[in-house]
Amino acid sequence: MSAPARSATSPHPRAGPAFWLSAACGWAVIAYGVWGLVHHHLDTRPTNYAKFAVGGALIHDLLFAPVVLLAGVAIAHTVRGPARAPVQAALIVSGCVVLYAFPLIRGYGHAAHNPSSLPHNYTANVVLVLAGVWLVATATIVVRSVATRRSRTRG
Amino acid sequence: MASPERSAPPPPDPGLPTQLVRQARRYTTDPDLPLGQQAYTTPLRDERLAAWLGAALGILFGVCFVTGLYSHLHQHPVPWLPVPARPAGLFRLTQGLHVAAGIASIPVLVAKLWLVWPRFVSFPPVKGMGHLVERIGLFPLVAGGIFMAFSGVANIAQWYPWRFAFPAAHFWTAWIVIGALVAHVGAKWAITRRSLGRRRTALADADPDLGSVAEPSHDGLTRRGFLTTVAGAAGALTVVTVGQTLRPLHRLALLAPRDSQLGPQGRPVNRSAANAGVLGAASSPDYRLRVEGRVATPLSLTLAELLAVQAHEAALPIACVEGWSYSARWRGVRVRDLLSMAGAPPGATCHVESLEAGSPYRISFLDDAQAHDRDTLIATHLDGRPLGPDHGFPARLIGPGRPGVNQTKWVTRVVVG
Repeated sequence: MSAPARSATSPHPRAGPAFWLSAACGWAVIAYGVWGLVHHHLDTRPTNYAKFAVGGALIHDLLFAPVVLLAGVAIAHTVRGPARAPVQAALIVSGCVVLYAFPLIRGYGHAAHNPSSLPHNYTANVVLVLAGVWLVATATIVVRSVATRRSRTRG
Repeated sequence: MASPERSAPPPPDPGLPTQLVRQARRYTTDPDLPLGQQAYTTPLRDERLAAWLGAALGILFGVCFVTGLYSHLHQHPVPWLPVPARPAGLFRLTQGLHVAAGIASIPVLVAKLWLVWPRFVSFPPVKGMGHLVERIGLFPLVAGGIFMAFSGVANIAQWYPWRFAFPAAHFWTAWIVIGALVAHVGAKWAITRRSLGRRRTALADADPDLGSVAEPSHDGLTRRGFLTTVAGAAGALTVVTVGQTLRPLHRLALLAPRDSQLGPQGRPVNRSAANAGVLGAASSPDYRLRVEGRVATPLSLTLAELLAVQAHEAALPIACVEGWSYSARWRGVRVRDLLSMAGAPPGATCHVESLEAGSPYRISFLDDAQAHDRDTLIATHLDGRPLGPDHGFPARLIGPGRPGVNQTKWVTRVVVG
């Protein structure tokens, strides 16, 4: 297979001085951060920390991302017509809301003897927020369907 | 796989490494196999969109980093860079921004990672020295970015599934992420500038790993629709949380971990007196407020004596590092009056100590400006009523422009340094 010649706008432009300079600066700052984590090991507990820092990336890359990719494929195959884009958008927003609210819904951080700790019914509130999201999506589907039908009857 | 019988002599065995590379190349580039790059083609995976999301994420992370450093400076003061006591609402603003930008970055981070995910499995994995350095730098960026978002969200929900101290881990990882961001911006500068320009990159010039295809007329989200959706998700999360600090949006703060109007005396607290283990000591008749250290006449005041000292009232915000805040009327004795009663030298700094034992936040420091500000009080009243136990009875520190964690409750000692 012969690769096309690299144009000036190639996605992998040859690394120039600016690249190496920013890489050197960036890695110096990264090294400072790593030094801090190691130096303050009584606070940062490096072994336990590594579980979360590396585990988060692994969970994202090997579990979360593939599941989202498959969900995307499933939506593309099952939802057609004017409903697809609003459904995709509503799923993305819903997913983000649930991702953020997960610890609140589960009430992990609830403290006894503290009336201001997680004071709301977060399950009900997430349902309320999602209802709003899907209401907007449904309205968009209706508007888009009417517009599609009109353009068809005109055509 | 066995090849059909042929009359020609069999080709020489290429050796295991060559075979492995050949198989890896086949599995990762054959469009008909699951890892083939063309399996991920979509009009949404586009360099321009990646550049927009990257720029947005860079700004949000930048805001988080700067405001986070400011908060760190408050909690770990250094003599060569004193934090200002005024304006009184500055910390409320910076920390509100910190938490809001962090929450808003979740959809942007997820979208950006989704968009560039095919590069994660691109083959060959390394295309030269520069590419190798760039790819290695992606690990601290991605792992650090996910860690910051996760630990931040868990912390504001007061969920600690780990054994490390959150502030230390969050702070040092911030340096790692910002360093990785600097390296990444340097690597992507040319492509980002080109992509954010007016003209979209020609498909022929687009990164084949990304799987960009032309946007046909299809039912799904368009590139603009995708970007609008991500912005909408960030906006929705902001609207349902930022009311914990932004009063006009208070009623919409459905998913905020604290409500600025719910709690003892109608105000939230992070730590109750029961959980701090101070209920007994705070209500004991043996309670004294001592002013000690570098003073001419150390003081030891009972609560009644403290209440007899001339009180002042100040309208000050209390802003928690976890993103919630409220404004209230506080009444109590000015710290500077206590210092002068004890005969502290002019310009003295001090620290205050809580009855709470064993908490890293039982002590907080006041520099010269903070200690002598007219509104820095050892407060005994909140909104006209005596402090409840959860708000720091018998006395708490309240001062302008300080993080809530430094507004020490259940104060029992003022030590002049």
